[in-house]
Amino acid sequence: METYQIYSLASAVLFVVGLAGIFAARHFFKKIIATKIMGGGVFLCFVSFAERDALAFADPVPHAMVITGIVVAVSAAAFALALSRRIQQLTGQESFPVDE
Amino acid sequence: MSVWIDSLLAVLAVFLAVRCLLAPTLPQCVFLFFAFGLALALAWARLGAVDVAIAEAAIAAGFLGVLLIDALRDFAAPRTHGETAQKPHFLTQVLLGAGLVVFLYVALEAVWNVPDGGGLTALAADNLPRSGVDHPVTAVLLNYRSYDTWLEVGVVLMALLALFATGGKELFRRPVVGAVDPLLRQVILFFTPVLFLVGAFLLYLGKTEPGGAFQAAVLWGAAGILLHLGGWPVFAAMPRWTRQVLLTAGFGFFLLLGFIFMSGGSALFEYPVAYAGVLILIVETLAALSIAAALTAIFAYFNGMKAASVENEIPDPS
Amino acid sequence: MTPAEIVTVMLLVAGCFFFLAGTLGLLRFPDLFCRLHALTKADNLGLGLIALGMAVHIASPWAALKILFIWLFTLMASSTSCYLIAKFQRGRAPKPSEASAE
Repeated sequence: METYQIYSLASAVLFVVGLAGIFAARHFFKKIIATKIMGGGVFLCFVSFAERDALAFADPVPHAMVITGIVVAVSAAAFALALSRRIQQLTGQESFPVDE
Repeated sequence: MSVWIDSLLAVLAVFLAVRCLLAPTLPQCVFLFFAFGLALALAWARLGAVDVAIAEAAIAAGFLGVLLIDALRDFAAPRTHGETAQKPHFLTQVLLGAGLVVFLYVALEAVWNVPDGGGLTALAADNLPRSGVDHPVTAVLLNYRSYDTWLEVGVVLMALLALFATGGKELFRRPVVGAVDPLLRQVILFFTPVLFLVGAFLLYLGKTEPGGAFQAAVLWGAAGILLHLGGWPVFAAMPRWTRQVLLTAGFGFFLLLGFIFMSGGSALFEYPVAYAGVLILIVETLAALSIAAALTAIFAYFNGMKAASVENEIPDPS
Repeated sequence: MTPAEIVTVMLLVAGCFFFLAGTLGLLRFPDLFCRLHALTKADNLGLGLIALGMAVHIASPWAALKILFIWLFTLMASSTSCYLIAKFQRGRAPKPSEASAE
């Protein structure tokens, strides 16, 4: 088994773990962290395939896209976090209301 | 041997992710998320993606971790309104679990049997001499696909503007200086020039080795955040126009450059080969300054959120 | 194995031992002050040994200097944060002597 195969399998598992977290978690905070874990799985998948396509060096295009992606994901998470804090401050709610 | 290390690291990352989502309290969840980010950074170092490892450890684990810890001030308080949410129906849980298992199988199958496309390594290597830099990842980020990087600087700026739109009257509330520990102030004073120098070093190193604008931006942003915490809100204390210039310099210079190139008859961001190296260094420096300023501003806004909300709190309708 | 490799392996193993001891302390010690003590003392020494091992392994003065700086900055950052955490805890809990006497 090659190095990249181990990590690409792990990336699929991480993605599903994050997905399960988004469905199962109630708190805003945990939902945001679950999306971050999902994103981590996607990035890991990208970088593991960059390693597969390596010649003298690993494929730089997925690396650059992942660096860009990390910054964008963190910006989005910061915004989501600010929104959820604001909701908590104004209404006291920390999770989405559940329909009966 | 190396297969065992990689397997262990992959299992560790998955384990930490699961534990993070199952953690009973939010502080535990945050610190496990920290650990997850660092495990991921190690995985990237193992995969030869040193740039990504630095970016992950610094931005995704470090900067976001700081924001998460700051947000704990709102969420860590014991709940007063009680746990009203009920457990979902049993059938829903079974269906969700079954769906996830099927999805896991599909995802594993997909990454295992992904067709071999050959990648873009050869193309990137062939054009490296004409890109103005010697490190392939920097060449992709700032030459081949500088469109992505340009818009990314824009996304960071947009995130900051969106934060401002979430509310609170006073944008940058100054922290109380007297409350800061004197030892902490001295350590921050010592670390500020160090962080600035290491950031500049990483920025310049990006030409030939892993490093570059984002890694430098995070270090400079960290210096700004530390100064803010030490009672010197550098960003908030600047005049308004300086803040605006700092925040938009990276995005604006990129735009200006693209405009000049296009009016010269070449494509957007098609650097002239002779000046590519110099232009990339200028673009990187300005982009790093802008991102650092935006990170500092995002943190300053987060840090002032609790204080700002007290005045215009809406009374509970119940 | 060359002598340099043997020295590297010994230093790395010793560093890992101190990290293990520090982690054991973090998990098993009763209160925050003991845990901080275990973490900062043992881990800083462990990191120093590992840094020294890597410096021997790389055998380039420029890289060794950078590794030394990494160790020094980590020392400063960890001791400052240890001090801050301890100070915060002291401000809201009984004095360390009273807490550990329970």
